[in-house]
Amino acid sequence: MPDLDRREIAAIFLGGALGSLLRMWLGRTFATGAGDWPWATFTINVTGSFALAYFATRLQERLPRSIYRRPLLGTGFCGAYTTFSTMQVETLQMIDDDRYALAATYALTSVLAGLVAIWIATALVRRVRIIA
Amino acid sequence: MQCVKLTTYFGERDRVDGRLLADELLAIYERRGVRLSTLFRGAEGFGRLHHLHTERLLTLSEDLPVIATALDSPERIEALLTDVLAIKRRGLMTLERALLLGAAADEQRSERRDTFANALAFAGGAGHGRKLTIQVGRRERVGNRPAFVAVCELLHERGLAGASVLLGVDGLREGRRTRARFIARNADVPMSIVAVGAAEPIAALVPELARILREPLITLERVRICKRDGELLEQPHALAAADEQGRAAWQKLTVYSSHDATHDGRSLHLEIVRRMRAGDAAGVTCVNGMWGFHGAHAPHGDRLLQLRRHVPVLTIAIDSPEKAARSFVLIDELTREHGLVTSEVVPAMQALSANELSAR
Amino acid sequence: MSVWTWLGVALLGGVGANARFLIDGLISARAGAALPFGTLVVNASGSLVLGLLTGVALSGDALVLAGTATLGSYTTFSTWMLETHRLGEDARARAALLNIAVGLAVGVAAAALGRTIGAHA
Repeated sequence: MPDLDRREIAAIFLGGALGSLLRMWLGRTFATGAGDWPWATFTINVTGSFALAYFATRLQERLPRSIYRRPLLGTGFCGAYTTFSTMQVETLQMIDDDRYALAATYALTSVLAGLVAIWIATALVRRVRIIA
Repeated sequence: MQCVKLTTYFGERDRVDGRLLADELLAIYERRGVRLSTLFRGAEGFGRLHHLHTERLLTLSEDLPVIATALDSPERIEALLTDVLAIKRRGLMTLERALLLGAAADEQRSERRDTFANALAFAGGAGHGRKLTIQVGRRERVGNRPAFVAVCELLHERGLAGASVLLGVDGLREGRRTRARFIARNADVPMSIVAVGAAEPIAALVPELARILREPLITLERVRICKRDGELLEQPHALAAADEQGRAAWQKLTVYSSHDATHDGRSLHLEIVRRMRAGDAAGVTCVNGMWGFHGAHAPHGDRLLQLRRHVPVLTIAIDSPEKAARSFVLIDELTREHGLVTSEVVPAMQALSANELSAR
Repeated sequence: MSVWTWLGVALLGGVGANARFLIDGLISARAGAALPFGTLVVNASGSLVLGLLTGVALSGDALVLAGTATLGSYTTFSTWMLETHRLGEDARARAALLNIAVGLAVGVAAAALGRTIGAHA
C-alpha cells in the first residue's frame, strides 16, 4: 500500500462529497417511479464514465503527475458520482417484479453505454493529429 | 557539442519534503539552466523490489515509473549532480555520452556545416548503430502536417531501423520550462522522437532535419542494433562486469514494439515485463509512444476508431551485463517475429545517498 | 431533505470514496493485475450492504445517508467500466468480458443475499 498523503485523502474526500451531492440532486430532480427505467442512475453512470475516462487518460498520459488532481477528479468525484450498488438494487427490483427482460436490458445497456462512453472519451484525449 | 545525458528512473509518487521528486528534479535543472530536459511518464514497470506498477488498474496505477533526462555539457551536469544526489534516494541513475547538435538562435550557418562534420566524425566506423533523439513541440508543424508525422516519414524513407515518438509532460529547452498544464494549449511541451539506424543515413539526415525544423535540437548516441523484424543482427555488447578501475558496468536493452504486437496470443511487451519480473532483472520500464515504426512497416499510431492500441511501446531494461545477457535470451525468444532490439553501454549508479556515489 | 441531511450526504460521500480507495488499494496490492479484483470486491460488498439496508426496510433520511450517500459513493460504476476497457485494449477480451459478467452476477447476487439477510434479521 503506497504511503498515504493527507492531501490525497482530503482530495478524495472533497471529490467524493461533490460527486455524491451531484448524484443525490440529480436523482431527486429526475426521480423515476419504482419499476420504471432508472433514467437518473443510468444517465449518471454513463456521463460519469465519460468524465472518468477523460480525466484519467488526460491526467495519466498527457500531464505531469499532480498530487491531488486524480484523487479529486477520478477516485473522488467520478467514483462517488457513479454508483454500482444502486444499479444492482434497481436490477434486483426488476427481477422481483418478474420483469426479467427489463432487468437484463437495463444491466447490459448500462454496461454497453458505459463502455462506449469510455471509448469515446479516451479516443478524444488521445487523438493523434491534434494533441493537447 | 559533446554532452552528458543524465537519466533518472523513479516512481511518480516519490517525494522530497512533501513535494514530488519529479517537480524537484525539474526545478534543479531549471535553476541550473540545463539546456535540454524531458520528463516521460511510463505505463508499466517494476524496480528492485519487483512490485508491479501498471496503468491498467486504477489503484495500481498510483505509482507509475517516470523517466527524467537532463542533457548539457559535462561541467554543468557535474555541477548539478550534487544537488540531485542530495534529493534522490531511490532508483536508478545513468550518465551517458551524447553529441548535441542544436541550432541555437545565435549559431551561424558555418556552424551548421560543422555540425554535419561532427556527426560524421562521431559516427566513427561503419557498422555501428546510432540513436538520434529529435525534440519537437507538441503542436509544431512542418508544412501542413504535425512535425512528428513529417519527421517519422522522412526517417522511414531513409531506411532507418525504427523511430518512436514519445510524449514528454514536462521539460526544459534552452533554459525555458515547458510543462504541460491542465488548462492550456500545451503547444510547446516537448515530444522526443527516438530514432535508431545505421551511422551513414543518420549522419546524412542531420542537416536535413536542421533545415525543416523550427529550432532543431538533436542528440546523437551510439547503440548496437541487435534485432529487427525477428532477424538477429548482432548479439548485445559482451561486457565485463567491471571496467579497469573496478567500476560496475551496466547495459541497457531497449525493445521497440507495437502495443498490439503479440507473442503466443499475449501482449508482447507485457509478456517481457512478466517474464523478467519473474526472473531476477533489476528493473524494467515500459513507455508508450504516440507514433512510430520499428520495422519495415509504415509509421503508425492510435486510430480514432479502435479497440486495441497501435502505438509504439519502448521496454527498457538496465542491468549488469551478466543479467542483461540472460534477459536478451528471453527477449530474443519473444521477439521472434516483431520488434527492434538495441543494446547500449551505460555507466550507472544506484543512487542511495550522496555518500554512496559508486560509479561515474 | 433538510440542510443537515445534505451536509450528511456530502460528508458520507467523502467517507465512502475514501473507504473505496483504501479497500481497493489493499486488495489490488495483494491480488495482482490479472483482474481488477479491488473494484469487484468493493462493488460486491457495497451491493451486499445496500441489499441489507433494503431488507431491513430502512427508509427516509436514514436510507438516504447510509444507502444512497455512503454506499452509492463507496461503489463505483465508472472505475469498473474504465478498467474493463483497459483490459480490452490489452488484447484481454476474455478478461474484459469476465470482469463484466462476474461484476454483474456477483453484484446482483450480493444485493439479493443482503436483502434476504436483512429481511430475516
